[in-house]
Amino acid sequence: MNLAIFRSRSFGLIVLALGLLLAFAFVVLRAGPLAPTQVTVNPVKEGKLTPALFGIGTIEARRAYLIGPTTAGRVLRVLVDVGDTVKAGQLLAEMDPVDLDERIAALDASLARAGSTIAASDAQRRDAQARNQLAGMNVKRYQDLGEKRFVSSSAVEAKQQEAVSAQAGVSAAEANLAAARQDSLRLGAERDGLRQQRGNVRLLAPTDGIVTTRDAEPGSTVVAGQAVLKLIEPASLWVKTRFDQGRSAGLALGLPAEIALRSNPSRLLAGKVVRLDLVSDSVTEERIAQIAFDTLPTGISVGELAEVTLKLPTTQARFVVPNASLKRLNDQLGVWLYQEGKAKFVAVKTGQSSLDGQVEILDGLSGGEQVIVHSAKEISANSRLKIVESLAEAGK
Amino acid sequence: MQQKMQQTFGITIEGLSKRYGSGNAAVDALKDVNMTVAPGEVVGLIGPSGSGKSTLLKCLGAIIEPTAGRMTLGEEVIFDGGWKISDLKALRRDKIGFVFQAPYLIPFLDVTDNVALLPMLAGQPNAASRRRALELLTALDVAHRAKAQPSELSGGEQQRVAIARALANQPPVILADEPTAPLDSERALSVIRILNEMAQQYQTAIIVVTHDEKIIPTFKRTYHIRDGRTYEEAGEGRAL
Amino acid sequence: MINLAGRDILHSWGKFAFTGLGLGLLIGVTLTMAGVYRGMVDDAKVLLNNSGADLWIVQKDTLGPYAESSSLHDDVYRSILGLPGVAQAANVTYLTMQVRRGDTDVRAMVVGFEPGQPGEPGYLTAGRQITRSHYEAVADVKTGFQLGEQIRIRRHDYTVVGLTRRMVSSGGDPMVFIPLKDAQEAQFLKDNDAILNERARTATNPSLNRPGVPGLLEAIQASQASNRNVNTVLVRVQAGQSPEEVAAPIRRWKHLQAYTRVQMEEILIAKLIATSAKQIAMFLVILAIVSAAIVAFIIYTMTLGKIREIAVLKLIGTRSSTIAGMILQQALGLGLIGFIIGKVAATFWAPAFPKYVLLESGDAISGFIAVMIICALASTLAIRAALRVDPATAIGG
Repeated sequence: MNLAIFRSRSFGLIVLALGLLLAFAFVVLRAGPLAPTQVTVNPVKEGKLTPALFGIGTIEARRAYLIGPTTAGRVLRVLVDVGDTVKAGQLLAEMDPVDLDERIAALDASLARAGSTIAASDAQRRDAQARNQLAGMNVKRYQDLGEKRFVSSSAVEAKQQEAVSAQAGVSAAEANLAAARQDSLRLGAERDGLRQQRGNVRLLAPTDGIVTTRDAEPGSTVVAGQAVLKLIEPASLWVKTRFDQGRSAGLALGLPAEIALRSNPSRLLAGKVVRLDLVSDSVTEERIAQIAFDTLPTGISVGELAEVTLKLPTTQARFVVPNASLKRLNDQLGVWLYQEGKAKFVAVKTGQSSLDGQVEILDGLSGGEQVIVHSAKEISANSRLKIVESLAEAGK
Repeated sequence: MQQKMQQTFGITIEGLSKRYGSGNAAVDALKDVNMTVAPGEVVGLIGPSGSGKSTLLKCLGAIIEPTAGRMTLGEEVIFDGGWKISDLKALRRDKIGFVFQAPYLIPFLDVTDNVALLPMLAGQPNAASRRRALELLTALDVAHRAKAQPSELSGGEQQRVAIARALANQPPVILADEPTAPLDSERALSVIRILNEMAQQYQTAIIVVTHDEKIIPTFKRTYHIRDGRTYEEAGEGRAL
Repeated sequence: MINLAGRDILHSWGKFAFTGLGLGLLIGVTLTMAGVYRGMVDDAKVLLNNSGADLWIVQKDTLGPYAESSSLHDDVYRSILGLPGVAQAANVTYLTMQVRRGDTDVRAMVVGFEPGQPGEPGYLTAGRQITRSHYEAVADVKTGFQLGEQIRIRRHDYTVVGLTRRMVSSGGDPMVFIPLKDAQEAQFLKDNDAILNERARTATNPSLNRPGVPGLLEAIQASQASNRNVNTVLVRVQAGQSPEEVAAPIRRWKHLQAYTRVQMEEILIAKLIATSAKQIAMFLVILAIVSAAIVAFIIYTMTLGKIREIAVLKLIGTRSSTIAGMILQQALGLGLIGFIIGKVAATFWAPAFPKYVLLESGDAISGFIAVMIICALASTLAIRAALRVDPATAIGG
C-alpha cells in the first residue's frame, strides 16, 4: 500500500513536471521568435473587376439668382420669405424710392412749362413772319414809288433794310421755337428715365423658383449688386463632386452614378455625370464633376453632403488580387507568395482597381499562386508561416 | 593482560580530560577518564545531567577535542594530546556509528536510503550500499518498511532503522545517546536486545549513554560518571 | 553517490512547488517589467517601421512629428519629389485624440495618409486597404473596432474596412488610418458649436464684416475652416541612395528639418521615452533586489528548517561540500522552477496588458542567468548558516 502511495505521488510529480515543461515549451514555441507567423492566402485567379470612382460632393443649384437693387438704397419691404415658391415676374421686394416720385413731379412741371415756352416761341415766330410780310410789301411799294421818283432813294433803302431785319427776326423766332421743342423733349426723356428707375426699385422674380435666403430686411441699406434675396431653380439641383486627381482615371461624361446623401446614406440615388470641369483644383488636387439626379428626390437641401460612386464598365481581368496583399519592398511594388511554408516576394505591375479592394495584376504572376493577404506581423523572406482561415480572432 | 586487552578492545581511552574556558573561569568537564570497551560488548555509561557524559560522548565521537589524554580506536591511536587523524569527518563516517535519543532519520530519504546513505557518502556504489542496507534492515526486522518514508514508521521502527544506519559502515564503535528515552519499557528493552545482538554479530563495541532505570540492569558492565570522573562497575547483566 | 538536493525536493515537492510558484510569479513580474520597457522601445520602432519611410521631413527646428508638433504646408511634398534620390514623398498627419466608439471612446492616433504612399499600414490582419478617398478607415485591433463598424472622428463617420496589428504611436496608442484629406479636416475641425461660435465672432468683428463689401465675411469664414497643413512628409529614397545624402540638400535649401531613421530612433528612444525607461529600470533594479532577498530568505528559512538533519548529516560524517552542494542545488532548482513558472506566467498575462509587452528571448536568457546567479548568491547565506551548525547539537545536552 505504501508502495502504491509512493508510486501515485511520483506519478503526480511527473505529471506536474511534464505539464510545466509542456507549458514552457508551448510558450517558447508560440510566443518566442520561433513561433510561426499566421497568414491568410488567396489564390491568384482571373476575375471581373468593376473599377469605380469615389468622390464627395455638395448639393448645389445649377442656376441660382441673386436678387438685389442696381443702385445703393434702402430696402422698403420684402414680400417673400425663405422657402416660398415664387413665379416669374412676381414682386419679391421693393427698395425705398426716396425722392424719385418728387423728381418725376418736378420734371412733369418742367415739361408743362416747356410746352408753354414752345407756344410763346411759336407766337413770336408768327409775329416775326407778319412783320417780315409787311416789310416785304413795303419794300415793293417803295421801289415802285422810287422808280417813279415819288420818294427819295434813301427812303427806299431804309425800307429794304427794314425788310432784311424782319427776315432775320423770323429766323430768330424759328430757332427759338426749335430750342423750346428740344427742351421739352429732353425733359420728357429725363422723366421717362426716372420712371424707369422708379420701376427698378421693385424687385421681381426673374424665373419660377424657391427663395433660399433672405439677406436684407426692410430698413437696411444695400449697395448695388448686393443680394436682398436668393432664388434657386429647384429643378436644376445637382451634386458638385470632387474626385481625387490620383484616382480619377476614367472620369467621363455620362457615367452612371450612385449618390448617397448624408441625410439618408442607406438610400442610393441614381444620377449621371453631366458636366466635367476642365479646370481642376490645383491646391486640393481634385477634379470637379457635376452629377445630376435622374429623378430629383424630395426633401433635399442645398449644401448637403453627398457621397458619389461612379461605376466604370466592368472589365475582365486576367488576374486579380486583394489590395491588402500589395506590399512595397525595396522600392518595388509586389506581393508575397506562399511557397511551402516560406514567403517569396514577387514584383508585380498593377492595373485597375475596384472600390471593394480588388486590384488587377498586369504582369508578374502566372495564375494559381497563393498570395499572402493578411499576416499577423510583417513578413520577410525568413518568416516561418502558418496558414489560417482568418486572423479575426486575433483581433479580440 | 593489559597489553592483550589493548589489542582486542574496540575502544580505549586513557586519562582523557576536557577543560572548557581558561584561567579562573576554567571548568573541568572531564578529569582523567579511563574506559575500555571490547568488540561485541555493550557498555552502559550512566550519569546524571551535568555529570560530563555528553562531553565524554562528544569526545568519543570526535566532535570536540579533548584537552589531554589518549584515545585508541581498534588498533589506531586517534588522539594523543591532539588529533592523530586529519579527516575527522571520514573517521566519524567510517569508524563510528551514532544512535541518538531521537532517531533523527533524514526525512527526505526513504528507509533504505537512510541506511545506505553512509556507504554512499563513503563512495560505495549505490546498488551495493542499498543491498547492504537491506541486509541490515532484514537483520533488524524492519525490511518490510524498506521503501517507507521515515515519517510513516513507529518510534520503535525508527529507532531500529537508526541502529541499522549506525551499523551501515560496519564501524568498530557505536555511540548510542539515550537510545531508549522516548520508548516504553518493552520497546526500550527490545532496542537494547538488538544492540546486544548486533554487537555480537558485527563485533562492534557499543557504548550506551543512558539514565533509563529500565535498561541499566541489562548491562554486564557500566561506567558511572560523576563530576567528570568515571567509575567502573559490574552490571547485573540481566537477561533480555 | 546520492543526490540529496533532488531527494529533498522530491520529498517536499509541495512546499517547493508553492515556493517556486511564488518566486515564479515574482520573476514573472520582473520579466514583464523588462517586457514593458522592451514594449515601449518596440512601440517606437514599429512606429518608424510602419511608416515605411527613410526620411521624415518636418518643420524647421522641431523634433517632429512624434516628439514635438510640426506643421508643414501640404504642397511641400511636390518640391521634395523633385529632388534627386527621392523615390516617393507623401504627406502624413498625426493626431492623437479620443475616437468615439459607441458610448465610450478610445484613445487613438489618427493617421492621415495617402494610399500606396509611405505612411500606409504595412500589413493587414483582416479586410482591405482603403480604396475610397474619403470616410474609410483602417484600425488597429487594439482599438477594439471590428470590420464594418463606424468610427466617429470629429463630425464624420468612417467605415472600418481593414484591421491591422501593432500599429501604435510611440505612446502605445493604437492607430486609426484615414485618408489624408479627411485627416487634415479632422485635425482642424471643431465641433459644431465651436464653428458656430467662431462664425459669430468673426461676424461681429466690424473690420471683417464691413458693410458695403458683400462676400468678405463669407470668404473669411471659408478660409478659417480649411486646413492646408500636414505634420510631416515621409520620403522613401531610391534604392541604393543614402538617406543622409538626400537629407542634406533638404536641410540646407528647403529650410526644413529632415531626420533619417537612425536620428528618428534616437529622438524616440533617447528623448521621448527616456524618463519612462529610467522609471522602469528603477523598478527592475528594485524587483531584482527584492527577488534576490526573497530567494535568500526562502533558502535560508528552508535550511534553518533542516538544521537538525544537517547536524545529523555532519555528525555522521557528511562532507561540508556535500551539504553546501545540496543547498546550492536546491537554490538553483528553486530558481529554475521559479524561472519556468515566471516565463510561462509572463507570456500568458502579457497580452492582457493595455500597452504592448515584448518578452524578448534575449531578456529571458539573461533573466535566467541572473536568476541563477541570484539564487547561487542567495544560497551562500544559507550555506554559511549550515556550515556553522555544530554537529554536537544532534547529541543534545
